Amino acid sequence: KLGVGVDAIQHGVEGLTYLLTESSKLLISEIDFQDSIHVLGFSDELNKLLLQLYLDNRKEIRSILSELAPKLPSYHSLEWRLDVQLASRSLRQQIKPAVTLKLHLNQNEDQTAQVLQTDPSTLLHLIQQLEQALGEMKTNHCRRIVRNMK
Amino acid sequence: MELSAFARGGWRLLGDPGRFPRRPYAALLRAAFRSLLDHPRAGLDDPDLKDIDPTVLKHCHAAAAMCILEAGKQKADVSAISTCLEDCKLDKERIEQFCTEYQCRELVTVLSFSIGRSPLHITDVSWRLEYQIKSNQLHKTYQPSYLVTLNVENSDSGSHPDVSFSCTMEQLQDLVGKLKDAAKSLERGSQM
Repeated sequence: KLGVGVDAIQHGVEGLTYLLTESSKLLISEIDFQDSIHVLGFSDELNKLLLQLYLDNRKEIRSILSELAPKLPSYHSLEWRLDVQLASRSLRQQIKPAVTLKLHLNQNEDQTAQVLQTDPSTLLHLIQQLEQALGEMKTNHCRRIVRNMK
Repeated sequence: MELSAFARGGWRLLGDPGRFPRRPYAALLRAAFRSLLDHPRAGLDDPDLKDIDPTVLKHCHAAAAMCILEAGKQKADVSAISTCLEDCKLDKERIEQFCTEYQCRELVTVLSFSIGRSPLHITDVSWRLEYQIKSNQLHKTYQPSYLVTLNVENSDSGSHPDVSFSCTMEQLQDLVGKLKDAAKSLERGSQM
């Protein structure tokens, strides 16, 4: 339909893919993008089209590229339940509170769920530790690094 | 409080001064308590027990251990234990010796607490905060990321590989929020 050979189409698609992927990966500015494609000697109209294509799609391309990085299972969600153990085979007449958690994690498109349990004092300890972790980003040290990196 | 026929048989042997003179009886009680609370083989190498026939020793040790665990399970008091041992024809002195040992060892209930199956138990958490700059696939990522590791224990084998996962700040806030909800419910529940 386009009246062009298969090879030309293939090269064209590959070239376009490479251009968009590399530009998105490096997150180059508009000016840098325009300078880069200028050497190809296309018409102004085509250059404008390519720039628009880049700007429209770079966010999505970047999010796809971010999936390729090595990574650990990531948090998806948590369900919890409170139980009180009243008896077991080895001990009767108990009152033992327990917190049962179901941790949902994502790993490479698979979702796993793990059932875990803890006791009330460990739960409070977990909360305290993780709140400290959250607080770290607000410290001067971290703020300084974030500012200087950009 | 009731014991099985096997256990009752062992206690009848223990009550027999011919089979178990005073010193070996006391040594066996110590061994039974120690093997449950300290270490499985503890106490059996006591010199006072060396003259006892090994089969009898094994039977009686098992019977004593069963009695300790059953008493712990039912939270039996001294009179319940005494009644049970009287049925095995133990004299008063020997019953008193057992009850004294039992009462000194408050750990028996703790032991009973820990026997049994449960899901993986979380014992601790560690975390790491990192700031991602770039990867070979993507440059200028510039975002904070947390790595959280939950230390878990298996009720059967003790240790278990830890559960690790990464999360963003928002996800960690979600996690902490949910844990705080659980803690609040616990607090309300305990007031009932």
